[in-house]
Amino acid sequence: MYILNNALANVWRHKGRNALLGAIILVVIAASVVALMISSTATSIIDDYKERFSAEVTFVPDMEKVREEAMAESEDGMVRMVMPTIDADQYLAFGESEHLADADFTASTGVVPEDLTPVAADLGGGSGMMTMGGGGPGESMFESEPMSFTASLQGNKLAEFDDGSRALAEGEMPDADGEALVSTELAELNDLSVGDTLHLAGELRNIDEGALESIEYDVTVVGTYDDLTDEYGTSPQQNAFTNRRNEILTTYDTVLSNYVAGMQGMQVAATFYLEDPDLLDAFTEEVRAEGLPDVFDVTTDSATYNAIVGPVEGLKSVSVTFMIVVLVFGGVIIALLSSIAIRERKYEIGVLRAMGMKKSAVGLGLWSEILAVTAACMLLGLAVGSLVAQPVTDVLLAGQIQAAEEAAAAAEAQGTGGGMGMQMGPMGGANQADPDAEPLADLAVALTPGTVGQIAAVSLGLATLAGLTSLGRITRYEPIKILSERN
Amino acid sequence: MTSTLTLDRVTYRYDGTKKNVLRGISAAFEPGKVYTIVGKSGSGKSTLLSLIAGLDVVDGGQILFDGDDMRTLDRDAYRARGIGVIFQGFNLLTTATAVQNIVLSMNISGSRVKHKKQHAYDLLAGVGIDRETAGRPVLKLSGGEQQRVGIARALSHDPRIIIADEPTGNLDQATEDEILRIFTGLAHEEGRCVIIVTHSRRVTAVADEVLGITAGRLGVVKKDQGPPRKAAVSGGPS
Repeated sequence: MYILNNALANVWRHKGRNALLGAIILVVIAASVVALMISSTATSIIDDYKERFSAEVTFVPDMEKVREEAMAESEDGMVRMVMPTIDADQYLAFGESEHLADADFTASTGVVPEDLTPVAADLGGGSGMMTMGGGGPGESMFESEPMSFTASLQGNKLAEFDDGSRALAEGEMPDADGEALVSTELAELNDLSVGDTLHLAGELRNIDEGALESIEYDVTVVGTYDDLTDEYGTSPQQNAFTNRRNEILTTYDTVLSNYVAGMQGMQVAATFYLEDPDLLDAFTEEVRAEGLPDVFDVTTDSATYNAIVGPVEGLKSVSVTFMIVVLVFGGVIIALLSSIAIRERKYEIGVLRAMGMKKSAVGLGLWSEILAVTAACMLLGLAVGSLVAQPVTDVLLAGQIQAAEEAAAAAEAQGTGGGMGMQMGPMGGANQADPDAEPLADLAVALTPGTVGQIAAVSLGLATLAGLTSLGRITRYEPIKILSERN
Repeated sequence: MTSTLTLDRVTYRYDGTKKNVLRGISAAFEPGKVYTIVGKSGSGKSTLLSLIAGLDVVDGGQILFDGDDMRTLDRDAYRARGIGVIFQGFNLLTTATAVQNIVLSMNISGSRVKHKKQHAYDLLAGVGIDRETAGRPVLKLSGGEQQRVGIARALSHDPRIIIADEPTGNLDQATEDEILRIFTGLAHEEGRCVIIVTHSRRVTAVADEVLGITAGRLGVVKKDQGPPRKAAVSGGPS
């Protein structure tokens, strides 16, 4: 205890020297506070955006490739473009990847509800198959025409309930297998109510082999939903099958209960969430090995992410670099100052050692002294750093945004001139950022407990550096030599 | 009487030199006595004191403290608790006050005195330092005052051996008499061993035994004979 008391007394006794050392430490800590506040806030924002844009993986069919494949495989002049699907088994296999943090599965299939009049019945049904080019239906290898679906059974397709475009009107959400929600329009049109059972018929086909498999579902209506989505969404065809009011919502397992491997007509989709966005390439390699067809692109929305977060990432990089430079230079200056200070206090050390104080106790005293100075500087540094962090952030971020805009303008000018620098995306277009994506122009930095902890660690590191420098010197000193030199 | 401190054929040579400063010195220091060591400048008095103080180690022979070889002892603990040293150059913490120097010494020794600060004031008062002076940084004290603070510090942890290098060199006659009374009291009344290196006849006058050191050799000089003219050699050349 007396070591600490003596150390604290020494802070004042050697106030000139400690003030000089404290000033350097204060500058280092205040600069570190600013850098760490920027870095920590930027990191949380970057992580958040990464999660939103870069961690979510989707398998998007490249329609250009689909068309090319259909044309290449056509033998009768008729180009049948069938939306490529991924087997449910494959999806499940992909979901086992160790690179994934989570997986969200959905499934859908076309059905014909027995004894029900679909919404927009006058537009007829649809098969989900698109045909292009010449040739007639009579040339199909199937003896029967594809079933004309008037509704679709959607498994686990409930995301729109989260964004508010669909809402539960009556009853409850489907939870158990065989439970279903129907739109209020479909319910009213057919006088459906909760508890009614719907009998749904459908079919699966294998176009290559001409195989056909009839499927049936019996689902119980457990509720109805209001639908604010566009009736036909992005579908190019408008009929009862593509009308979204005819979507019967159920569980994923319910839809999959009629899944037959190798047959088409049931679409299974999944959204995978990577543990880390940087694992995209590794995950892509893995799913390709599992048999993901080349017509699918494995994508994340990195372009939009970069457009929004790019300046913040630049800011973080600048702040971290700045902090490293400050810490290195500050550390060297502190070590030198400590070394000089100890040399100047050699006599004092000699006296303490002559009085019987052990080297370790002398070292502990000096370390406590520098620790006390550093602690005071840390408190002051936190206050100063917190005050200047926001203005510094604003200036730096504005610089980063301006640099990003200039870079984008230069790239655009280059692209216009030579058509270079465009990455082809899944739909055959350029993989560009969402045009509405604006870079983050404001970054409200905050002093978090984590940052305070990091600053405490930096401070402790600086004090220990100074303490070790002192200890290194002390171990060389023998009291008799110091005192005889002095005397 | 059993010796508290025994020098047994002690030799010492400074690093980088070939000549021994101390050449086979033997002596026994008993509790309850005042010893003075006299000799010309450069004769090895202060070197001998440094060895006895545990600030340095012998090159040959041994120094025994209560029968234990100093080389095997924890010399830090020995300096902190076993002896009290009064340095010629004071060796005080100049930025600390007189009383802080005393209290720190007590703390280092692990003294169990309850009211250390008051005890420090009492010790300082005993060597003629008043409370106001005791509260001033050592740097602002005169040489004589610093010497007294050094004496008080040496006594602060109640050591069994007190060694002093010219302890009264900076004191006036009255204070010197007072300090000598303290030393003789410590030896004769409290049974401590007091070893003083001095040139002062007044100091040697109070000594129970006077040792003379000449050319690295120690001899015994009869009491009241003053500085030795011819020392009786106790150790052979090394």
